[in-house]
Amino acid sequence: MTVMPGESVAITGPSGSGKSTLLGLLAGLDAPSEGDILLAGTAFSSLDDDARALRRGERCAFVFQAFHLVDDLNVLENVMLPLEIQRRKNAGNIARQWLERVGLGHRLKHFPTTLSGGEQQRVALARAFAVTPRLLFADEPTGSLDHANGERISSLLFELNREAGTALVLVTHDQQLAERCHRQLRLEDGRL
Amino acid sequence: MKPVLLRPWRDSAFRILALAVCIAALSLASIVLLRAELEQRFIIRSAEMLGGDLMLVGSEPPEASQLDTLAALRQAQVADFASVVMHGDEMLLVSARAVDHHYPLYGQLHIAADRFAPATVVAQGPPPGEVWVADQVLDRLGVQMGEPLHIGRLPLTLTAVIRQEPDQGAGFYSMNPRVLLHQADLAATGVLGPGTRVRHRLMLGGDAASITAANLAIEGTLRADQSLRTVADAADRTRGPLHQLTLWVSLGVLLVSLLCGAAVFLATSQRVRRRARLAALLRSFGASRRQVTTRLLGEEFVAVVPAAILGTGLGISLILLVRQLLGWQGPLAAATGDWIAVLAGPLVLWLAFALPRLLSLVRVPAVDVLGGRLDTHPVAGALELAAALGAPVMLAALLTGSLEELGQLLLLLILLGALLPALLWPLLKALDVGSRRLPLASRLAIRRLSRRPGLTLPLLASLTVAMAVLGLAGLVGNQLLDDWRKRLPEQAPNHFVFNLFEQDLPPLQAWLNAHQASSQPLYPIVRGRLTDINQVPVQDAVTKENDDAQRALNRDLALTAIQPGQTLPPSNRVISGDWPPQAGGVSVEKELAHNLGLALRDQVQFVTSQGTLTADITSIREVDWESFEPNFYFMFASEGLAGQDITWLTSFWLPEGDGARLAALLRDLPHITVIDVRALLDQAQALVTQASHATALLAILLMAAALLVLGAALLGAQAQRGQDNALLRTLGAGRPLISRVTWLESLLLGLCAALGATLIMLAALYPLAQRLFAGALPWSPWLLLPVGLGLVVTLAGVRLGARAQRHAPLALLRQA
Repeated sequence: MTVMPGESVAITGPSGSGKSTLLGLLAGLDAPSEGDILLAGTAFSSLDDDARALRRGERCAFVFQAFHLVDDLNVLENVMLPLEIQRRKNAGNIARQWLERVGLGHRLKHFPTTLSGGEQQRVALARAFAVTPRLLFADEPTGSLDHANGERISSLLFELNREAGTALVLVTHDQQLAERCHRQLRLEDGRL
Repeated sequence: MKPVLLRPWRDSAFRILALAVCIAALSLASIVLLRAELEQRFIIRSAEMLGGDLMLVGSEPPEASQLDTLAALRQAQVADFASVVMHGDEMLLVSARAVDHHYPLYGQLHIAADRFAPATVVAQGPPPGEVWVADQVLDRLGVQMGEPLHIGRLPLTLTAVIRQEPDQGAGFYSMNPRVLLHQADLAATGVLGPGTRVRHRLMLGGDAASITAANLAIEGTLRADQSLRTVADAADRTRGPLHQLTLWVSLGVLLVSLLCGAAVFLATSQRVRRRARLAALLRSFGASRRQVTTRLLGEEFVAVVPAAILGTGLGISLILLVRQLLGWQGPLAAATGDWIAVLAGPLVLWLAFALPRLLSLVRVPAVDVLGGRLDTHPVAGALELAAALGAPVMLAALLTGSLEELGQLLLLLILLGALLPALLWPLLKALDVGSRRLPLASRLAIRRLSRRPGLTLPLLASLTVAMAVLGLAGLVGNQLLDDWRKRLPEQAPNHFVFNLFEQDLPPLQAWLNAHQASSQPLYPIVRGRLTDINQVPVQDAVTKENDDAQRALNRDLALTAIQPGQTLPPSNRVISGDWPPQAGGVSVEKELAHNLGLALRDQVQFVTSQGTLTADITSIREVDWESFEPNFYFMFASEGLAGQDITWLTSFWLPEGDGARLAALLRDLPHITVIDVRALLDQAQALVTQASHATALLAILLMAAALLVLGAALLGAQAQRGQDNALLRTLGAGRPLISRVTWLESLLLGLCAALGATLIMLAALYPLAQRLFAGALPWSPWLLLPVGLGLVVTLAGVRLGARAQRHAPLALLRQA
């Protein structure tokens, strides 16, 4: 399986088929027991934990179904976090710009628990795109949202993806969402 | 076991909860039972010192009607008076005691068949026609066993030597030796005429209820010369190891309850997080709040009960074992109230600490739980904790009977418990604000603590209390042992010798050296009778009704003077005025000063064999009469006794051996008086050994409970830390950054808790010292323990953090 720059790929399949596990492996969150994963043509899965984390931080971003924002950081600090981990300059300004872009410029000092599900996922999108990733992994990004909010988030996701020219690997049950990708792959009985 | 009993055990949080309940039950059972055992021994000892549970004292025998009123109680009658015994032409002033055949009511009378023969225990005093005497009488009168001794006009046969009396207390300081005779012989001696000063004591024994009833019944019938003494009066005068230990154990009950409660609270908090989904689902399926509560609480209760039973069983077994090891006889001392506390205490504790948290499961709307919003509001959390703290306070109140003794400490703990979060929280918030320019790792570490009050405050409070208790347990336990060891060192003097003249000192020293006996400082002694206070004759200055004062006035007192270079004896404590007394000054013992109405700068005058002796009171001392050291009512300045007839007094430790050594000394120096206090000393040393064992047991229980809290607190926070770290790794953070955050967070947590614990210890130091040591507690390295424990918490936090890092981040993120 190869994903080209700027390409969007949907991975679908029945529950328990291993979609999220595959996504975790692709993102280097777990190591495969066999086989190799290359990132930008160089070894990725064979690297140790720290090296994988470093490369993931430099080149990849993640959007989760359960948002996974840090509850004790405010909205601005949440978006600044990956930038600071990579020691990027002007983390505050970059984060502010992305939050303006997702329509949350007025809620910079709010904490995640005070936001709605849709707003939390928008913060997660701002956090993901703030590091200008080459590759974005999204695990059921609309799975925790109602239909209207889900629509809005998926539109924003594809819009930002297009603007940034980021490759997207998306795991979803939602057929409509999958159809918006360039390519769809189905995982069944451990095979793509 | 039925599945419903086993189900909760699958959860690690429940296992911690069960362990906390088990340790709480074990600690409560063993401490409450131990306390009852100690209390009983303390009461028995006080009763032995008093001679009964209640005592009617008067200068005339009790009325027949009074004896009738008290007929339901066990009675023994004693008459104490000063008299002279004669053997041939030799005469000796003695403290005579006429006893009936019920004497002694409590305790043991030790007698020996001869001066150096081993002692045996007897249940009654001498029969009519016989007399028993203290060692000194034999030495001073040269009388042999079986020979007659005259008291007044009655000859009595000498049949035994008194080694120990049950109600003598610290009575071996009396200058006049004891003589015991039967009351039936008293009239025939003819020594008691009108105006003779006699102290008639009716000693009474019975259970608490009948003693209280008797006290009430007799109170209204007292003559002007009569007064009642209770065990409480006797207990008030002693601050021995048993009293200290009983207080410390009472405090231990409170501390263990608090610690186990904290562990229950922390474990239940985790449990609630894990059970929340089930509760929400049950609610969404239409179950009423009551049904949900019954089901969840019922399951927990049924599963917690075996842990409580196991702990209680282990606690009872432990005390049975301790009793066997210490050789304590008789049935268990615990009363009904104690057994209720032992059996119900662990469950009450569990209910108090767990119930408010469990009930929050049905208070929070189901939709919030299913949406992952279960966080307790900090104010609600604090209210829950405050409500839960009521349980150990009530338990302690129930167990101590009254909060009088420990009220101050308890108040302090409650205040600190309430104030501590208020003190530490602003500190963390200030760190948060000030951390904006700090590196990322520091900021993340500070914010993990400063922005999660619901997690941080209970964690911080538990760690703080656990550290403070561990520190206090170490400090107080160690200080108690040290105190007792100092009071009774291995080579504590086991003989007292007085009536030494200046020329006797070299032969005595030679004898001491020859027998490897180590001697204590020498005290000069002058016999004197107090005659004037501020130039007013004492008989006018002191009221006739004051029995204690009258007794002090009607006998010769042993006056001493400080020797150049001599320091304040360790069993003395100056409570007002200056030490040492300057020329013309004298230091007075506190209780005597109180009885005689003496104050600083008062002038006292004594009559001695050389005329009069006058001095101004420059200090008042508290004296530990139970110490095995020479103690004095009046201590003059170093030259204060110049020109008087001085004899010397000292004490020494003589290694075990035969009586021939002392016999040789008495042959060489026949006029000296030697008092053997080995029996008393052995008894006191056995008591100290028992108290030391009990203190060690309490320290172990406190430590187990404190470590449990530390473990529960750290494990409780582990899941959240693991999730935090997984997210950081997903966002590209390497291990060095995560390690730095974990180190800094754990260090900050450990140091904050250490700061809080040190503050508690410092605040508790003064009331503890007042209650347990009747004085100040010195600086101790134990005060540094919280800092050490803070570092342990840091290391434990880092270790647990490292364990969490071993999991692949994906697995942790899926768990969330």
